[in-house]
Amino acid sequence: MTQSSTTSDPSSNKEIKCNDQSIDRRSFIKWLTVGWAAFAAVLGGYGSLILRYLFPNVLFEPKQSFRAGFITDYNLGEVSEKFKDQFGVWIVREQDKIYALSTVCTHLGCTPNWQPSEGKYKCPCHGSGFYKNGINFEGPAPRPLERFKIELSDTGELLVDKTKKFQFEKGEWNDPESFVLV
Amino acid sequence: MEHLKEIINTLTNPKILFPSILFLYFFIFPPNDYLLKINKRLKLYNIWTKKGAVVLFSLLIGFFAFGLTDPNFQKIVAKPDNVPIVGLIFLVVFFLWLSMYQARENDQRIAQGKLPNEAEDAKEKILVWPDLVYIEFIALILCAALLLTWAMVLKAPLEEPANPSVSPNPSKAPWYFLGLQEMLVYFDPWLAGVLFPTVIMIGMMAIPFIDNNRKGCGYYTFEDRKMAVSIFMFLWLVLWIFLISTGTFLRGPNWNFFGPFEYWDIHKLEALTNINLSEYVYMIWLNRSLPSNILLREGVGFLLIALYFGLAPLVLSKTLFKNIYHRLGVLRYSVFTILLLLAVSLPIKMFLRWAFNIKYIVAIPEFFFNI
Amino acid sequence: MSDQSNKKSLIEKITQTQVWRAIFRTGIPRNRRQRMMVMLNGVFLHLHPVRLPKHAVKVKYTWCMGGLSFFVFLVLTVTGILLMFYYRPTVEYAYGDIIDMREQVPLGIMREVHRWGAHLMVITVWLHMFRVFMTGSYKPPREFNWAIGVVLLVLTMLLSFTGYLLPWDQLAIWAITVGSNMAGATPLVGTSGPGSALLAIGDVNFITSSSDARFAMLGGRFVGEGALLRFYVLHCIGLPFVIMIFMIVHFWRVRKDGGISGPT
Repeated sequence: MTQSSTTSDPSSNKEIKCNDQSIDRRSFIKWLTVGWAAFAAVLGGYGSLILRYLFPNVLFEPKQSFRAGFITDYNLGEVSEKFKDQFGVWIVREQDKIYALSTVCTHLGCTPNWQPSEGKYKCPCHGSGFYKNGINFEGPAPRPLERFKIELSDTGELLVDKTKKFQFEKGEWNDPESFVLV
Repeated sequence: MEHLKEIINTLTNPKILFPSILFLYFFIFPPNDYLLKINKRLKLYNIWTKKGAVVLFSLLIGFFAFGLTDPNFQKIVAKPDNVPIVGLIFLVVFFLWLSMYQARENDQRIAQGKLPNEAEDAKEKILVWPDLVYIEFIALILCAALLLTWAMVLKAPLEEPANPSVSPNPSKAPWYFLGLQEMLVYFDPWLAGVLFPTVIMIGMMAIPFIDNNRKGCGYYTFEDRKMAVSIFMFLWLVLWIFLISTGTFLRGPNWNFFGPFEYWDIHKLEALTNINLSEYVYMIWLNRSLPSNILLREGVGFLLIALYFGLAPLVLSKTLFKNIYHRLGVLRYSVFTILLLLAVSLPIKMFLRWAFNIKYIVAIPEFFFNI
Repeated sequence: MSDQSNKKSLIEKITQTQVWRAIFRTGIPRNRRQRMMVMLNGVFLHLHPVRLPKHAVKVKYTWCMGGLSFFVFLVLTVTGILLMFYYRPTVEYAYGDIIDMREQVPLGIMREVHRWGAHLMVITVWLHMFRVFMTGSYKPPREFNWAIGVVLLVLTMLLSFTGYLLPWDQLAIWAITVGSNMAGATPLVGTSGPGSALLAIGDVNFITSSSDARFAMLGGRFVGEGALLRFYVLHCIGLPFVIMIFMIVHFWRVRKDGGISGPT
């Protein structure tokens, strides 16, 4: 401590050289730097260890893909809530295509309610509203609902894969994997 | 009776209530001499007398007593989760009055050239045992008694078991975060949920370093530090306590506004179709489609925000905040105005939403960057 | 009469025993000297100074809110420990345990005391802050202690928020869903926050739904088993530990900054 206080005082520089201290100014700064760098490295090392510890390699979460029956199970213009509870997906059938819409509000993750009389999904948490196709039109939701990958299996059943999602604002809804043509 | 409820329902629509509170606010807590003069001429300072307290509490108790005759209001107030908020409202009003009552007394004494009450008291020294220890002991017993009675009379809220696929309607945050939830309606989560809370925290910590008024330490006063009290009351009372009350009493299913005596109709329709500023500029005023270049598209929004945070402090330092600027110096003043502008941006955004249906000033959903 | 004098002597006898005097060094604080010594000698009473200016003990001035916040915190600690005897933080058992705590435990109001106490603590902490502001007590030399107070305020709300999830009812998971999605919107380190796409090398994105701020909070991609356990640990160990450290500093600084504020 006394070292640092004297060396930091410019007027006493000469004295130190004359007094022939065991550590001169330059090597003191050098050691100080090395010391602090080592301290920072150790701290950073522990920090990143802890940080990494928060993210496990294996997750025991429910299956992300499921069979959703046949196209004929769905009526034209209908929003099916069959898989809402178990998988968090609405199956929507339009004139020419069928797609799987996520039931997670893009605002803060609540589950909107499908209100058939008004033809919209309405989120109870902060009042976001989405049209039947998932486009947001009212309330705070910043972007449309997400769609999931959907395809026909060999047996003609619909397969929904939730690991792959398609976002409208990135123009991904035109991706042929995001819907099944009827 | 029904008529009165109808009137209250209309008046408490936040679109009417909030602006009127904002307007009235500056007369009740005047931040400068000019408004203080008006405040005194209107005798608003007399709210903080004992008579004022009687009127204040009669109004408050009257409102709740009257409200409890209404089944819809009853349902909200009787919900166990809302009990602390009703308690909070009464406590805040009481302590607000208590502090302002003492402030008023002290201000009058100071105007007469006397010392504040606390300074008179402070001349006498007393022993902590028994004087303070016993007060603490009594307070502690009262508090424990209150808590135990509360716990015996009211069951702690417990709803149905968690169900990840059904959000309750309405779903409300814990009551002390309802102010944040209200902000979330007007701002994106990264602002309302992350940036603003951080700024609020830092801003609160910065208060003692910004407020360089040495007067008013250790005694209740209003006139010695009206600017500070006025701003703090605005942030705490209006932007926090009031928004919590709004979230509790006025927000219903689908997060729509409902009057306190209105039936919570799930199918109440409210046209909330919102437009971004860029859409206003290009599609409505210039009558063309949105440009594909994002920066060009949102240029107006960026410009407005740059002006708001860049130019406004400069202009204010020459006009309205001239005195403050001189008192605080450049650094303090910049921090102060930026914080203040951030706080004021909430009412501004509310106003834009209500008056023009503006959703975002800058809207870049591609990068989750919306303001 | 004789009965009374007997009683008195009994008290005197007790207070003169070796055991009593070993515990209470100063005796019953009757005279001025003893009253000063009792404050100086006790480890807990030593939080206070011996003498104070008169305004500083008036309830009108102090509102008692700081002290009550601390008291309610102690109540919460005790009831919280008691709740831990019966509560298991798993999706399967949590809700049932909460019901059993009320139905199957004699005098089952511990959870009520804990829950209402948590609300009460938020209120008392706010009112304490309000009082400190209104008396201008944050002004020099107490600036730093005000900042500590702000941290304590935030920690109080975080404690309350983490406790919110534990009953595992509808209120709980949706409040936490909303809260954790806000973490997901953090700039740079949240998947749905601005700038998260910048942290990428080529096509490999570092910030995904299983490696962002929200995930660290929940221990999963949605509010489930992992989130319940993480919130439980934070609520029972992590945050109380941190808040206690800050409380110690807060109380210490109250004394070191010259005691409770007053007009100079």
